[in-house]
Amino acid sequence: MQADASHQDSPARKPSGIIRRIREFTLLGRDPVLSISLLLSGIFIFVFVIFPLFRAVAGGFISKEGAWDVTYFARYFDDYYGPSLRKAFLDTMIMGLMTATAGTLVGFIFAYAVVRCRIPGKRIVHWLALVPTVSPPFALALSMILLFGRNGLISRKILGIEFVQGMNDVYGLDGLVIVQTITFFSVSYLILKAMLERLNPAIEEAAASLGAGRFHLFRTVTIPLLIPGIAGSFLLLFVESLADLGNPLFIAGNKTVLSSQIFLAVIGEYNFQKASALSFVLIIPTLVIFLVQRYYVNRRTYISVTGKPAGSQIIEKDPIIRWVVNTLAYLIIAFILLLYATIIYGSFSSAWGVDFTPTLKHWTMTLTRGVEAILDTTFLSALATPFAAILGMIIAWLVVRKKFTGKDALDFTSNLGGAVPGTILGIGFIMAFNKPPLALAIGIYALLALFFAQIVGKNAAERIIILVLGTAAGVLLTKIDPRMMYFCLGGMFILIAILIMISQRKYAKPLVAALIGLYVMSTNWANVISKPIADFSRSLERGFWSNAIVQFSDHLKVLIQPTPALLAIALIFAGVLLLQGVRIRGIRVGVGVLGLAVPCALSFLGIPFGMVGGAYIIMAAFIVRSLPASVRSGVAALQQIDPSIEEASNILGADAQYTFRKVTLPLILPALLAGLIFSFTRHMTSLSAIIFLVSAKWRIVTASILSEWEQGGVSIAAAYSTVIIIFVMIAIALLNLIVNKLFKGRGSVDMSQGF
Amino acid sequence: MYLSLENVTKIFPPRGGVSEVAAVQNVNLEIKKGELVTLLGPSGCGKTTTLRMIAGFEFPTSGKIILDGKGINSLPPHKREMSMVFQSYAIFPHLNVFENIAYGLVVQRIPKDQITKRVDKVLDLVHLEGYGDRAPTQLSGGQQQRVALARALVMEPKVLLMDEPLSNLDAKLREEMRTEIRRIQKEMNITSVYVTHDQIEAMTLSDRIVVMNQGLIEQIGTPVEMYRYPNNRFVANFIGRANFVSGIVQEQKEGKLTVKILDEVITLKNIKREFTVNEEVTLVVRPEMTRVKKKNEPFKGTIRRSVYLGDVIEYDVEVNGQLITGLESDPYIMELFAEGEQVKVGFAEGCIQVLPKEKIIT
Repeated sequence: MQADASHQDSPARKPSGIIRRIREFTLLGRDPVLSISLLLSGIFIFVFVIFPLFRAVAGGFISKEGAWDVTYFARYFDDYYGPSLRKAFLDTMIMGLMTATAGTLVGFIFAYAVVRCRIPGKRIVHWLALVPTVSPPFALALSMILLFGRNGLISRKILGIEFVQGMNDVYGLDGLVIVQTITFFSVSYLILKAMLERLNPAIEEAAASLGAGRFHLFRTVTIPLLIPGIAGSFLLLFVESLADLGNPLFIAGNKTVLSSQIFLAVIGEYNFQKASALSFVLIIPTLVIFLVQRYYVNRRTYISVTGKPAGSQIIEKDPIIRWVVNTLAYLIIAFILLLYATIIYGSFSSAWGVDFTPTLKHWTMTLTRGVEAILDTTFLSALATPFAAILGMIIAWLVVRKKFTGKDALDFTSNLGGAVPGTILGIGFIMAFNKPPLALAIGIYALLALFFAQIVGKNAAERIIILVLGTAAGVLLTKIDPRMMYFCLGGMFILIAILIMISQRKYAKPLVAALIGLYVMSTNWANVISKPIADFSRSLERGFWSNAIVQFSDHLKVLIQPTPALLAIALIFAGVLLLQGVRIRGIRVGVGVLGLAVPCALSFLGIPFGMVGGAYIIMAAFIVRSLPASVRSGVAALQQIDPSIEEASNILGADAQYTFRKVTLPLILPALLAGLIFSFTRHMTSLSAIIFLVSAKWRIVTASILSEWEQGGVSIAAAYSTVIIIFVMIAIALLNLIVNKLFKGRGSVDMSQGF
Repeated sequence: MYLSLENVTKIFPPRGGVSEVAAVQNVNLEIKKGELVTLLGPSGCGKTTTLRMIAGFEFPTSGKIILDGKGINSLPPHKREMSMVFQSYAIFPHLNVFENIAYGLVVQRIPKDQITKRVDKVLDLVHLEGYGDRAPTQLSGGQQQRVALARALVMEPKVLLMDEPLSNLDAKLREEMRTEIRRIQKEMNITSVYVTHDQIEAMTLSDRIVVMNQGLIEQIGTPVEMYRYPNNRFVANFIGRANFVSGIVQEQKEGKLTVKILDEVITLKNIKREFTVNEEVTLVVRPEMTRVKKKNEPFKGTIRRSVYLGDVIEYDVEVNGQLITGLESDPYIMELFAEGEQVKVGFAEGCIQVLPKEKIIT
């Protein structure tokens, strides 16, 4: 990140600026905690956000043969493809505008009802309004079709409508906009609710005292004060709508929008250039709005409304307005409840549309054939969760507390991965990590190796020896048979453990080093460990348990066989922490060389970062998608902690590590827990970003729902959706329980941070 | 010297559209053991940055900080054996009063019974006996302030640093706390550095005051020296109020200086500086060192503004085209002058600081 940012800026700056930046960079080395966090988050964001997005967007200009090619952009302007492409683009924009308008309106009704109309059952209304944010992306589309489709419960069974060719049905833009409105209005509700609460009642009272009538006041004072919120929610909803993939696939009928065009280009034609070109078209409005939202609307928001929620709220006095608003809110709530009930009912009915008698057969199918997808999804989501939450906290900490060049860039890019349409990120992941350029691996290794040598070596000579010998040894190690190599690498870490033990006579660090050694070696034993489990499962009768146990053996392998290039990054950081401050010179250089050789060998093993088809690429996509939410909850938590509190601990004799453990961590724990749950929720429900990354080995429930739907398995799709909703509900309930138990009276979690 | 700063400079690099800032420039300061020195100045003068460099939260761009004979530039805060009281108190919100105060002792792994003893002792010292198991949220602002002070004192630090510790308290409490702080500091004989922008606080607390402005030290001295003999216009204006009257030296002998000011010649006593004849000088005349009378004073003037304040009356008198602010006390036996009235003005000849003219222009 550091080197990157200064590189970009360099032409415009004076040499003294560059020198200062270099000095700043070397100064960072003095503070290992800061430099490790910075490198870690910088590398993650570069590899998994910037690089894939660049590939996704640039790919549209490059043909299969690698030449410059703008065919797919030119098609927008020709007579053959042009009309349908332009139509799809137009439809996309209409969809976005309509969803944004309707969603903001519904959000406003809810916010007004909750804040000013004393709607009975305020808390329940509040929570129900947030439910759509945690359900799988197309659950509502599915249920709309179940209710109002051609064989829908209401449309056909109750109202008895016979759908003939050409008749307007739920499919198309109208149905899509309704579903998207319900799916996304929660965002608008949260924004407008916060704004309404923070409006200073005195302003409106002042207007009233000056003789403004109720309607006049609303039009000339209330609405203008809410404009930043309304604009912000409108823009956010527009982007969400454009990015949405699940709902258009289900309910758009014969209309196509950009996101589904991209999906079809990949899945149907396997044409990545075309998909990339379409991504470029889609990402431009998204990015423009993201920037406007970030740098214009947010700024306005701060200026016009300051301070905490005002103590007293204005209550709507006119009973007619109050009842109209409350009734509308209740009606929408009822509709939402109906949609969710339909999903659950759908999973139990024999043959939707024909025979509504309840049955368990779809659930039996889901839990036997589908257990694989359910377990894979839960396992990967859960495994990625701590990484996402911790990375989010680290970035939040850097952004709130530290001063360094490129801070704005870090803040911006950490949000970028969640802001761009998931489809584009998914394509980027495929294009970036199918055959990643060697330069990526070399660049990252070089950066990390320099950092490693800088910290471990004490002077220039030592650093050069460590760099050169370590890299040479590492490259040589890649030449031997991988099986043997893992034993060598593990052995080297055990050797490091022995050397540290000799020089320092302490046990904690050598123990960790030895355990790392064993872990590296265990890569070779993955089959030995997992095979008996798989064999055992085959001996069982085919069904839920046998499938579940097979999955368990796969999950074990994921844990002990990470992508080598990622393991290398982790080992360099581990090496820095273990090997800094070794006193005896010979041993210092020795462990330095060994400690660098291992990650070097791993960095260049096979195709570095060739992750497509594996579990790690799915987890990386999960993390990228959930990062903004966990960063946001971290930033909110840290901003409430006075930096002097950490300084107070520091000057009372506690070092950074002790301060973090005893002061910072207890204070941000609620936010960290919230970050965990939000991340998990995001992972479980994400579709667009991972749809291209699923493989025969790694199935994801959301993708399974889609394929069941395509094969006509409506009820199984409904059962899968129910499973996800239940899992997410359990996670959120768990969070509430923990927070209420642990932090009674002392700080609470603002759930709205996560959405 | 116990703590000294040698040519300490701090330059903040440019960032986010803000150009380079020289927060502290070439500061030299020597502090004796047991002394309380106040860094006084307007906001942005570099006083807090100086304090934070002593604490170790900021690294000097150049220069040396020496504690007890050892350079501590590269020592991180937790190894400096100092304590700090923060403007925001920075009480750990998740710990109770006892745990807050004991925090630093726990870090040092001091045995439990000793911790209890020492914490109880400082709780006594700051008059918070029996508050040990209160949560910080259950304390008033003044009590939180005492906890913050106790937490710093219990460490028996080499240097106690205080960053505007009283600025969040109301006026009455502030007065009470500053005498309290001074009492404890003297009792424990702790070397202290105190940062404030409040000159009265500085005057009541300090052994010596350091006035800073725009990153530079303007003057160092005891409260008496600072008030009586300000070295320049900034200090004269920042500590107390002052009229600046320019004049020309006529004659100097035996500590007496004859100057021509406002078209009259007067003789001043107690002058330590050397001046040459015909040198242009500026007189620093405190309002309370002026006399506004009906007669028997050297300067003729006209009252332009008269404000009755109860204990004193404040006059703006126009003398030879210049407005002079004067304070007259004891109004009961005094006659009150109305605006426009002709009066005579005189200065207390023994209490006037005379500065060379260039000192004043800046």
